[in-house]
Amino acid sequence: MARNLFVMMLLVMMMVVTACGGSNSSNNTSEQPSNNKETETTDEKVTLTYATWGGADDKATPKVIELFNSTHPNIEVKLESTPNKQYWSKLETAAIGETLADVFWMNGPNIVKYGSNNILLPISEQIKADGLDMTKYPQSLVDLYTVNGENYGIPKDFDTPGLWYNKEMFDAAGVKYPDDTWDWNSLLEASKKLTDPAKGVWGIAATLDSQSGYYDTILQAGGYIISDDKKSSGFDKPEAINGIKFWTDLINVHKVSPTMAQMTETQGTDLFKSGKVAMLAEGSWNASDFASNENIKGKFDVAVLPKGKQRGVIIHGLGNVISAQTKHPKEAWEFVKFLGSKEVAVIYASTGTVIPAYEGTQETWVQSNPDVNLQIFIDQLKDSKPYPVSQNTSAWASLESEIFTKAWAGVITPEEAGKEMAAKMNEALEKEK
Amino acid sequence: MFANGYKKKVGSAVLVHIILLVGAAIMIIPFIWMFLTSVKTMGESTMVPLVIIPKQLQWNNYLKVFESLPFLTFYWNTMITTLFKTVGQVMICSLAAYAFARIEFPGRNLFFLLALSVLMVPGQVFLIPQYMIMKDLGWLNSLQALIVPGLFSAFGTFLLRQFFMTLPKELEEAAKLDGCNQFRTYWQIMLPLAKPGMIALAIFVILWSWNDLMWPLIVNTSPDKMVLSAGLASLQGEHSTNYTILMAGSMMAIIPMIIIFLVFQRSFIEGIALTGSK
Repeated sequence: MARNLFVMMLLVMMMVVTACGGSNSSNNTSEQPSNNKETETTDEKVTLTYATWGGADDKATPKVIELFNSTHPNIEVKLESTPNKQYWSKLETAAIGETLADVFWMNGPNIVKYGSNNILLPISEQIKADGLDMTKYPQSLVDLYTVNGENYGIPKDFDTPGLWYNKEMFDAAGVKYPDDTWDWNSLLEASKKLTDPAKGVWGIAATLDSQSGYYDTILQAGGYIISDDKKSSGFDKPEAINGIKFWTDLINVHKVSPTMAQMTETQGTDLFKSGKVAMLAEGSWNASDFASNENIKGKFDVAVLPKGKQRGVIIHGLGNVISAQTKHPKEAWEFVKFLGSKEVAVIYASTGTVIPAYEGTQETWVQSNPDVNLQIFIDQLKDSKPYPVSQNTSAWASLESEIFTKAWAGVITPEEAGKEMAAKMNEALEKEK
Repeated sequence: MFANGYKKKVGSAVLVHIILLVGAAIMIIPFIWMFLTSVKTMGESTMVPLVIIPKQLQWNNYLKVFESLPFLTFYWNTMITTLFKTVGQVMICSLAAYAFARIEFPGRNLFFLLALSVLMVPGQVFLIPQYMIMKDLGWLNSLQALIVPGLFSAFGTFLLRQFFMTLPKELEEAAKLDGCNQFRTYWQIMLPLAKPGMIALAIFVILWSWNDLMWPLIVNTSPDKMVLSAGLASLQGEHSTNYTILMAGSMMAIIPMIIIFLVFQRSFIEGIALTGSK
């Protein structure tokens, strides 16, 4: 009896496993190697996969796909969303296994790596053939997705950092709101007035952040992060060190920011949302998050980043790219072109999370929260520099937080941090050749 | 004399209980915190200084989980995967373990070493080769891709083999004399005796399978073949996370684990004591 039971269980298990398999392979043709060459030439329905890391928050992408599917009866796009933290591991595995999605999101730090290894489909010819006007997108972003003179991606959106501030705290301390006349010194003076150790409030959170922090101040001080030929680091130049010193001085010399330890415990954005810091340099993507938080809602606004020796902000944005392994390059290009269109940009703009890259549609985004001066993010475009990348960006970028934490904590000087970082970065860049 | 000894006993019992209570409190605080966050508003969840008890319980955070994710599909997939992996591992590993422990066959030690060597290599190393196998089988994006690679484990074989080794050989000899064949000896004599070991293995497999994130994300892409852990991970945004919804989802995700723990509490502790001492 017991033996029969065992045999039965095994049989049932096998049946279920094979049943799952059967139903699956029949309705999932996109993953199967197709021997049927006809699909490419006839009007048969083509299935494209679109991989993103939008997650549950991204309400716009499903809408865009729906619109595309309804206007392109011969193509069906399927969304494959992977959590942001696992996206790149998955992409790497899929690239090795040659099972990449047909179209997917790409970011700055990874574009050179993927673009220069024949994983992405170059689209310069398609752009030319279809007369796609690339001047409709910010030049810095078009450049970001150009590798060895070939276009690989159409910019989807962009973000720049701004100086968020808490109006209530400025009013209480009787300090004038930040505006475009501010320089580094005005920020320091205001921070001093806004800091009140007795109440546990600070003028600014000098967070350890690259894109919304020291990358920008390095540009403002007249420095650079990586040389134009992508062969050497700029971190050890006096300008870059000044850009780093700006932040570490706010914490360790002027004491107008929470310490590194405090900001490790509680993120800068949380301190800002709780009214513990009056100012925060952070990306444009916070607009909708701040506006939906009942503690800070209606009490905050944003201004351009103050100028140092000059103005400067880092711009970054995602791009839509096509896999070189796609079986349907024509349809994939059709979809990418659609994603880069004005129509789609307006859909993204109205959800308020990201600034669409297409010229003229940013106004919709600015209007998504009329109480806040979101226009500054668009105005800063003229001072923007592309996100610093190289062939293997993460090899050196991942060292930054480790080295700079020591400077932010006051253990080493900004000079020491800049020199150490530059030495290690040059070493990493050396290996790329 | 007697009264004095009694007092001493009570005194030490009180002390033991105090220590245990403190330990229990430390263990339960994360769960309480998780629950409290799940009923806070978004502002309260990240407020400094901490808001411990929310002003008004936000039960609709639980509804929002269902709005943002196909939560029930994920739940179902996770349960199916866990069930098959657990039954599979207990069956297959115990068969292999019994063979390694009791049956003399040429190359037994070599094969056992080979199985053990799998334990020495970190799981990340298998990730891509296993992925390629799934791809060649045409199993990407399917439930069996989640189940089949987890039907057997070197760890389970090792654990149960060690367990079988400790059982007295006389039992088997007696069974043989009474006319049991090899399979019947395993099935009717040895397996019931190995119950604590099998429960220990089952517990580990259930936990691992329930928590596994990387493998499902690598092999599967479409939402209807995803598991809970992946769904919860997708609630974490690139720049900001709504912790209230994340915690509401996590609360619902751990309920089966808590029920299993309550039901098998005793075996749980036995199981862990077992793997520690053997």
